Amino acid sequence: MNWTPAPRRSSAMRREQNLALVGAVVTGAVIATGLLMLLVARVNPAAGARVRGAALDVVTPIWSVVRAPFDGLGRAADFGSEYLGAVSRNRVLEAELVAARAELQRAAAERRALAQLKALQAVRDPARQVVAMVRIVSATPGSVVRSAMVAAGTGDGVVVGLPVISPGGLIGRTIEAGNHAARVLLLTDPASRIPVIVARTGQAGLAVGSNQPYLEFRDRVGAEVPLRAGDRLITSGDGGVFPPGVPVGTILAGAADPPRVRPAATPFGVGYVTIESAFLPLPVDETGPVFDAPVPVEAQRQGGTVGKLRQPEPPQ
Amino acid sequence: MRGAPPWRLMNAAERRRYWWGHWRLGVPAAVTLGLLVVMTAPLMVSVPVFPELGLLSIFVWATFQPRLMAPWAAFLLGLLADLLFAQPLGVNATLFAAAAGFVRMFEARYGHHAHGFDWAVAGGVVMAFELLSWQLQALAGQPIPLAPLGWQVLTSIASYPLVVSLCAWAQRRAFGPEPGQGSGRL
Repeated sequence: MNWTPAPRRSSAMRREQNLALVGAVVTGAVIATGLLMLLVARVNPAAGARVRGAALDVVTPIWSVVRAPFDGLGRAADFGSEYLGAVSRNRVLEAELVAARAELQRAAAERRALAQLKALQAVRDPARQVVAMVRIVSATPGSVVRSAMVAAGTGDGVVVGLPVISPGGLIGRTIEAGNHAARVLLLTDPASRIPVIVARTGQAGLAVGSNQPYLEFRDRVGAEVPLRAGDRLITSGDGGVFPPGVPVGTILAGAADPPRVRPAATPFGVGYVTIESAFLPLPVDETGPVFDAPVPVEAQRQGGTVGKLRQPEPPQ
Repeated sequence: MRGAPPWRLMNAAERRRYWWGHWRLGVPAAVTLGLLVVMTAPLMVSVPVFPELGLLSIFVWATFQPRLMAPWAAFLLGLLADLLFAQPLGVNATLFAAAAGFVRMFEARYGHHAHGFDWAVAGGVVMAFELLSWQLQALAGQPIPLAPLGWQVLTSIASYPLVVSLCAWAQRRAFGPEPGQGSGRL
């Protein structure tokens, strides 16, 4: 098959020029669309949640399969190193165990006393409830959002806004959920704000991520009390998502402003994490918004919300 | 398809080869998509050091196959990137499309492809990409600090030769060794 197309004429060149013009217009339109989508994201951050969940469902299984052999290798290496260091570790641990036993007995007595006191005061303690126990499949180090993927989704009861906790401490909270996968916003993400207290002094504040390996401790109540390096931060339970008392991190240098915090748990190489239900979820108001004037009947008929009428405030 | 040989000149095997050959149209997008998925790989580092493979791939394919990496294709790939990296929809989409458009404009002015020159331009594109994504994240209501992105600029510039050789390999496998010969540019 020996065939050559006809030679180009000037009309073909004109056509090419027109095509280039159309291409430039399409490029401009596409970029404008992108900027518009950004504005939509600013107004409505929850837009496209379903699509995001579907994307998670596609990507997460890939990495859970790909990383399986590496996990095996890592376990083998761990086993080897543990075997070599077993004797010296054993001696240290036995010494620690003696001290810990005495501490444990004291703690058991105190726990009993605390339970009695709480019963006397009729304190209602919401219980922590594990929704799912999963492996972290992948963390995205390449992008500006610090997140991790876990292989459990709405099918397993995981929804958006649940705390994710590892044995070492807090990992983050879920921000997207697909059917079989969910995305966890890590503590180090700039959008992450964890209400914490300093375990030693009881000062409340926020542990804020900054896309760095450490967190920043901001908005501390009682800034005149100095922090010490090594002070532990634990969740305060404010806001109702994170259960109180979960380790968040350790202060690296108390004098720095804002103080830097080393996270207690890292999502990398962590074995399993638990996804718990929100500790004290905010109550949902079923009555709808409060209006100054009654909603017209026509609007109600077309599916408008009924709402509540604002009550006049009682005279003082 | 422009430039297709007349139907009757082809025998059955040639027609089959011609029609099945259209999978090549998807090669640039597929390679870019693969690199985007690679970017979600679990890496045990807690600063953003993973190179911007997707952006580099868009840059390279926009020079190798300008018609197959048009700005609208880059836009769609950018939307997928936004979904994969949990960024606000539109950050990567806008910037990928802008990068493809920039390469197209740049090609019209400076038509030479010395490796070092292309590398330097890619470095500039990556830097502009990080600066603009810092701004666009703020526009979308999710501001991020700028300084940690410097790591990503460095690793991206360092990984450019790798991406370029991967794309060149895909180009030679899919489109043949010499552009303009036989199954050259589509």
